Amino acid sequence: MTAPYFELGYFGARGALVAALVIGIAFGWCLESAGMGSARKLAGQFYLTDLTVFKVMFTAIVTAMLGAFWLGRLGVLDLTRVYVPETYLVPQLVGGLIFGVGFALGGLCPGTSCVAAATGRLDGVALVAGMWSGVLATGLFFPALERFYERTPRGALTLPQLAHVPYGVAVLLVVLAALGGFLVAERIEAKVRTSVTPAAPDEMRRTVAPVVEGVGA
Amino acid sequence: MSGGRERWVTRALAATALALGLLAPLAGSPYKANHSTIDVAALARTVAREEDHVTALELAQWIKDRRPGLRVLDVRSPEEYDRYHLPTAERLALDSLATLPFHADDTLVLYSEGGAHAAQAWVFLRALGYHNVYFLRGGLYEWLEQVMNPTLADTTAPARDAFSRAASLSRYFGGVPRSDIRTLPADESIALPGAPRATSTVPLPARTTSARIDAVRRRGC
Repeated sequence: MTAPYFELGYFGARGALVAALVIGIAFGWCLESAGMGSARKLAGQFYLTDLTVFKVMFTAIVTAMLGAFWLGRLGVLDLTRVYVPETYLVPQLVGGLIFGVGFALGGLCPGTSCVAAATGRLDGVALVAGMWSGVLATGLFFPALERFYERTPRGALTLPQLAHVPYGVAVLLVVLAALGGFLVAERIEAKVRTSVTPAAPDEMRRTVAPVVEGVGA
Repeated sequence: MSGGRERWVTRALAATALALGLLAPLAGSPYKANHSTIDVAALARTVAREEDHVTALELAQWIKDRRPGLRVLDVRSPEEYDRYHLPTAERLALDSLATLPFHADDTLVLYSEGGAHAAQAWVFLRALGYHNVYFLRGGLYEWLEQVMNPTLADTTAPARDAFSRAASLSRYFGGVPRSDIRTLPADESIALPGAPRATSTVPLPARTTSARIDAVRRRGC
């Protein structure tokens, strides 16, 4: 049996929804456990006081990348069936900018706002409401936006294609970048910890047991 | 001390990631398609048993029955596809074969103008691990000839049965079945012995297909 299971028709829509729910709950639980439901912790990223987000993101990237590469190499996962989102340069740059401004302002990204909302944080609820309004508005006005959406298409780009290196070399480069990034992040955090005394007040934890919904990032 | 243990775990994880990363360039390509081999003997047996293709009438029946998982794939150029294609057919670019979003259990039916390209694509798709792959042996030409314009071959009982089955399928797809192309009204029971017709010899497919497409398009199909 080769993965991806849904793509290869091993289980139908219902099985996929159950799997998505289970994975989503686990994902939300882990985010909350890592403290990612807190806007203060996430905003610390932008003030270089708390680089947890950077470390969590890069850990996830490296874990998923090594997993995908080696499972593919061992024949457990058929990488040709894994969907690679297409690149549309200008619209995605603009989208990334809007996303970043929202992230810095609200202190939460889509996935973590769902976690924050599920644990009863009001800022999380507000962000989820805003996110869905945005999704709805984009859907309603899509005909007007469509031409912009389709500008500067680059196809399904991957790092190995872009850098003209073999897949394995790209994997090694990303791992080295991540490990280097972790070292730098730890240095910055250590510097902040010694210079800022007393330590920043512990964030007010209003965390109830994470009643997490299966919502992806 | 939990801090010391945490540090140890972090180091161990980092070392594991580094080791897996260092081995990655030496591991070769992770894409399954690159390891896929063609089982020549098995494919040859399939071809010998004539299980590699469908006739136009079989395909017409499948489309009419809405066979679950059926995907009809047109491997001709976009212009040709736009001009005319089989009902429910999707266009499939040959150069994008390696990254196709089909399910393992889909029934894939390929067709091209005459059949050569579809037969080649059949080999590729089998090599990629799809099992329910067929091609339309006579291509679009066969579809136009057998489904859109079926004609009565002779007056024997089996031929008449076959014609009436083909005719009902043909009408479903908006075709024009003819029991005789010259003079008689379309009544199967009084069809004359099938005289050799100009079109019964195999003409150059490209030209004839083009003319036939024009005829079908004029009928507003």
